[in-house]
Amino acid sequence: MAEVKKNEEPRIGVFVCHCGTNIAGSIDIKAVMEYAKTLPNVAIADDYQYMCSTPGQNKIVEAIEEHKLTGIVVAACSPRLHEPTFRVATREGGLNPFRFEMANIREQNSWVHMHQPEEATEKAKDSVRIAVAKASLLEDLIPKSVPVERAAMVVGAGIGGMQAALDLASAGIKTYLVEKNPTIGGKMSQLDKTFPTLDCSQCILTPKMVDVFRHENIELLTYTEVEAVEGYIGNFDVTLRKKARGVLTLEEAEARGFVGGGCNGCGDCEDVCPVIRPNPFELGMAPMKAIYIYHPQVSPLLYTIDFDSCVKCNLCVDICGDKKAIDLNAKDEFETVKVGTVILATGYDIFPIEEKFEWGYKNYDNVITSLEFERLICASGPTGGHLIRPSDGATPKKVAFVLCAGSRDNTGVGKPYCSRFCCMYSLKHAHQIIEKIPDAVPYLFYMDIRSFGKMYEEFYYRIQDEGAKFIRGRVANILEDPVTKNLHVNAEDTLLGRPIDVEVDMVVLAAAVQPAAETDATRRLFGVSCSQDGWLLEAHPKLNPCGTTTAGVYLAGVCQGPKDIPDTVAQAEGAASAASIPIHLGEVELEPYFAVCLEDKCAGCGMCINLCPYQALALVEKEGRTVMQVTEAKCKGCGTCGGFCPGGAIWMQHFATPQIIAQIDAFLLGGEQ
Amino acid sequence: MAVKKDYKDKKLAEKLRDRKYYIPDSNPEFIKEVEKIGLTAAHLCYQCGTCTGSCPSAPRSSYRIRLFMRKAILGLEEEILTDPDLWLCTTCYSCTDRCPRDLAPTDAIMAMRNLAARRDIVPRNFLKTTQLIYQTGHGVPNNDANRAARMKLGLEAEPETTHKYPEYLAGIRKIMDHYGLKERADKILAEEG
Repeated sequence: MAEVKKNEEPRIGVFVCHCGTNIAGSIDIKAVMEYAKTLPNVAIADDYQYMCSTPGQNKIVEAIEEHKLTGIVVAACSPRLHEPTFRVATREGGLNPFRFEMANIREQNSWVHMHQPEEATEKAKDSVRIAVAKASLLEDLIPKSVPVERAAMVVGAGIGGMQAALDLASAGIKTYLVEKNPTIGGKMSQLDKTFPTLDCSQCILTPKMVDVFRHENIELLTYTEVEAVEGYIGNFDVTLRKKARGVLTLEEAEARGFVGGGCNGCGDCEDVCPVIRPNPFELGMAPMKAIYIYHPQVSPLLYTIDFDSCVKCNLCVDICGDKKAIDLNAKDEFETVKVGTVILATGYDIFPIEEKFEWGYKNYDNVITSLEFERLICASGPTGGHLIRPSDGATPKKVAFVLCAGSRDNTGVGKPYCSRFCCMYSLKHAHQIIEKIPDAVPYLFYMDIRSFGKMYEEFYYRIQDEGAKFIRGRVANILEDPVTKNLHVNAEDTLLGRPIDVEVDMVVLAAAVQPAAETDATRRLFGVSCSQDGWLLEAHPKLNPCGTTTAGVYLAGVCQGPKDIPDTVAQAEGAASAASIPIHLGEVELEPYFAVCLEDKCAGCGMCINLCPYQALALVEKEGRTVMQVTEAKCKGCGTCGGFCPGGAIWMQHFATPQIIAQIDAFLLGGEQ
Repeated sequence: MAVKKDYKDKKLAEKLRDRKYYIPDSNPEFIKEVEKIGLTAAHLCYQCGTCTGSCPSAPRSSYRIRLFMRKAILGLEEEILTDPDLWLCTTCYSCTDRCPRDLAPTDAIMAMRNLAARRDIVPRNFLKTTQLIYQTGHGVPNNDANRAARMKLGLEAEPETTHKYPEYLAGIRKIMDHYGLKERADKILAEEG
């Protein structure tokens, strides 16, 4: 452990960065530097073109020794960018890295006051004075290390979650793959073909499903939801609700003493079940029994009872016979597992496009969504791959595809973002009807065709060549002919500059996507933030797209924002790599910004305990007194307790009250002590 | 189909005409014919506008080649063939050079002119030119001013064409007769009066 120094006379070094012309373009660097030299405790002030460069960092290292500095201030960019860089330089100079303070004179100054150089320079002086005041009071801090449990959890077993789990498991990490549905596979298993290669979606997905099912390091927990989460990076205790399935696996049956029993997926139970209800996997377009599997390729191949509709007639129990796989009295079970890191891959849902009345979904029979189209065109779908009009079962010849249906919409009904994969799957749909239906004509109503991926623009070219009609214009409204049930699609051909009315047999709405229904509840359990539109928030949109601001929790796939299959798989592999790092290291260092109880002052009132959003505080007996104790690994240093404590008994490390008061004084008193 | 209202006043009827584009009003075969004649895959046009941007005619006229490509894809045969703008292309081939989809918009325009000519829709000046070629072998025949200029430059008064070798005019006329060009031009001009 490094030596902790305290109570010396502060000697601060101030370094002002030009950042090329980013800062120097509007701030008088020399003036700021000269001003810094006049401040109390400042031993040296210097400037450099790029403080983050090696010569810039060397200035800090050399100055620490030469001027016997106790604290460093760099006036430059945001600490989110270069605080780690300068902390390393501070440490190399022989100081504790937490003796460093940054003054942001770029993002919060030169960039926003580009045309007010004089005021910007004065503001920069203020920032430096405030930073020096804090740096004079900074203390040595030692980061804590905590061990990391050698296991990971992936929430959601669509293609993103499956890929992340496979990567983690293949790296030798025990992985719990949690899925709310009875089968893994997610949305991708509902698709017919994938763009731009036109691979059969199931054909490329099922081998992965089998890999996941068979992998020795993956514990597959289908029909299971996350109930509660406690802990922190390295040590998450996740409580899972295993929903009552009513059907035993081979292992579960054996555990109950029915050797050779358990569900083998024979399907006899399904044949005798008298309850018929809509199949959610087929979006309600096919029937399903109360005891069911979604489709023949489910993994695990295990039946599930829907207890909401089951009438407990016992016919399935009778037919199952000696296998004794069915338990109609099953109850939800709970299990708590300990994992070091977590990947959220909770996916998406289709936006309820019926809320856009002008397109008549759920009002006109022959207006369907793109996901319904996928099931109708799929050979294993409810119609055996024959695209039919819901109104009369006829084969449609003219089909309109409405792109941006609910996307790029700022009305409040709809989504402001681009859903990103609709252009490409609509092109694929156009190809599929041209391929399957002689003389079929697809009309694509688009605002822009966003074919940005590898081989995507080439795919667009191919579909245009195949005869798809492209009409640039957002569909204004759709009207139904009450007799023929044909649809009149009204739009402007903006390239022609003229309104257009296209009579078609069927309309497919490329509906916007939104975070899956459970996303919000799940993210709250793990303490992950979300952006305005509900997608989970990455730690940095460019440089840390897989991480979150909660240490140890990572993101994969559409839950972070709309993306297609290649991007989802790529992000899943990135998230798996990120999530495996703490596990392979075996321990993680936590920033020492936690609260410390000053036990002499603590009255043991316990008011802080319930205020803590992270359950990091507890009352303990110490030397005959009740005092508060902080679990440092859980504490995020938010300061709620420290701000509240009536006795001033909680010391927020690195953000201590005297340090903050000094900053406020430095600002308000304008340098006059 | 466009809805027709029976207004008594003809001017009013024109003013309130339904200008919406309806698919049944179009000819889906039109683009195929254009492609067959022009030998270019015009249906692949993605309407970027490079053609109109490159066009020397566009800034000085109402000629918009992108719009002709769009109308051809939509099968607006009547509108295209009766549009006098169709004849404003100078056939400089700038659009063809620059088209990012490697199409030949110029050739598509030429194909549409062909189709218009089949219906005897050709502007007067083009017909006159046809007659001149038949008579002299030149769309713009040599004249005295031009002859003087040639002499001044040390050239012969007549160029190495049918002007110098009028015996070859017969061959040119044979080709034109084969396609009935002169006959057609004479007929249309006579009808116009």
